[in-house]
Amino acid sequence: MRDTRRARLILGLLLTAALVVLTIDHRTGVSSPLGPARGVGASLFGTAEQVVTGITRPVGEFVSAVANSTSAQRRIEELEGQNARLRADLAASALDKARSAELRRLIGTSQRGGFTVVTASVIARRGHPGFEDAVEIDAGTDDGVRPEMTVVNADGLVGRVVQATARTSTVVLLSDPASSAGARLEGGNEIGVINGVGEYGRLVRFRLLDSTAQLTPGTRIVSFGSQRGVPYVPGVPIGVIEQVEATPGELTRIAYARPFANLSGLDVVGVVVAAPKRDPRDAVLPIRDGQR
Amino acid sequence: MIAAIAVVAALLLQLTIVNRLSLPAGGVPDLVLLVVVGVALARGPAAGAVIGFGTGILVDLAPPTAHMLGQYAFVYTVVGYLAGRGVGGPVWTVVLCVLAAPLLAAAVAGLIADPRVASASLALSLPVTAVYSLLMAPVVVWLVAGDRARVIPA
Repeated sequence: MRDTRRARLILGLLLTAALVVLTIDHRTGVSSPLGPARGVGASLFGTAEQVVTGITRPVGEFVSAVANSTSAQRRIEELEGQNARLRADLAASALDKARSAELRRLIGTSQRGGFTVVTASVIARRGHPGFEDAVEIDAGTDDGVRPEMTVVNADGLVGRVVQATARTSTVVLLSDPASSAGARLEGGNEIGVINGVGEYGRLVRFRLLDSTAQLTPGTRIVSFGSQRGVPYVPGVPIGVIEQVEATPGELTRIAYARPFANLSGLDVVGVVVAAPKRDPRDAVLPIRDGQR
Repeated sequence: MIAAIAVVAALLLQLTIVNRLSLPAGGVPDLVLLVVVGVALARGPAAGAVIGFGTGILVDLAPPTAHMLGQYAFVYTVVGYLAGRGVGGPVWTVVLCVLAAPLLAAAVAGLIADPRVASASLALSLPVTAVYSLLMAPVVVWLVAGDRARVIPA
């Protein structure tokens, strides 16, 4: 007899417990009495994740390199051009070099905007089955990271910190369907709202508030900034408009933008711990006909 | 004890490596789900539900989290019970659990009006995730349950 009354009783009790926890957490929001439990869990698992990532980073990078080999095939001609440089990089431990180059670029970007950043590496990721798009980084309150801080990388806006423990913190990415950020078109004052749409961060939705304003593919957008820079500081490049949807008769216009930051392959990121004294406007955007 | 170690190992592996892979078509297998199914297959419905609940709480606590505590506790309790009870043979049980778990998770998220459930990309990504999970299922379930996966009396 596999399906005993006892088993059903246990099932019922556990489901009730889960629903009670869920309800308490949902109704009380930020002041949830379960906050301490979550803090303990976050610091325990955060530390464990840090250790495991330290051991397995080379393995993971190798596997993802193998998994991506089909798309790499298409870029083989392009890669051949870079081969000489890559070989030199390989000899001098390509991994560390690439990461330090990314770090240098990040610091360069943040200096252009006058941001003060704390740098960190991504140590864990929550994609599916969580429906949410969040990563764990190896910097926490000890490094000055607080919840509701902006997270950037060398290319642009990445997301915002939602929770910070002593040594790790959780970042909700721009591509998370529940995240939204104020944004502004380059070279003007037209503002709108960026929403994630999942899709592994390939595209984000941009809703322009003024339906009569010009909106053309190729226009770039930067963050508009929130009040006192919480959670988003102004002037961080977000992405470039890729397609504009025809929405006749609607009050807002909708476009899809490709984020500058590669949200599916994040490694080195920076947490903006101090906002610039003045809005950098379009200064952080890369020069249009530059190398990129 | 072995079950607990397997669950924690699978969770850490899932968060630090598997979720960061960029596999073709996006989406990754859900190792934690497969471990719960495997353990429950070997130990029956009561133990399955308990282990499912514990695993769910861990999944809810392990960072990075941006969802409500208890969401996955609910889902994995049901999955653990179902897998332990068995639905016409181990193979069908695994298939049913892998398909049911994400739908159940979406339903629970919908219950608390999570805006992410409505997004259209979900319909696209859930099948991909299910296919990857089913591909990994024989290996993981065999590793966890071994030959102890009970043969369900018809």
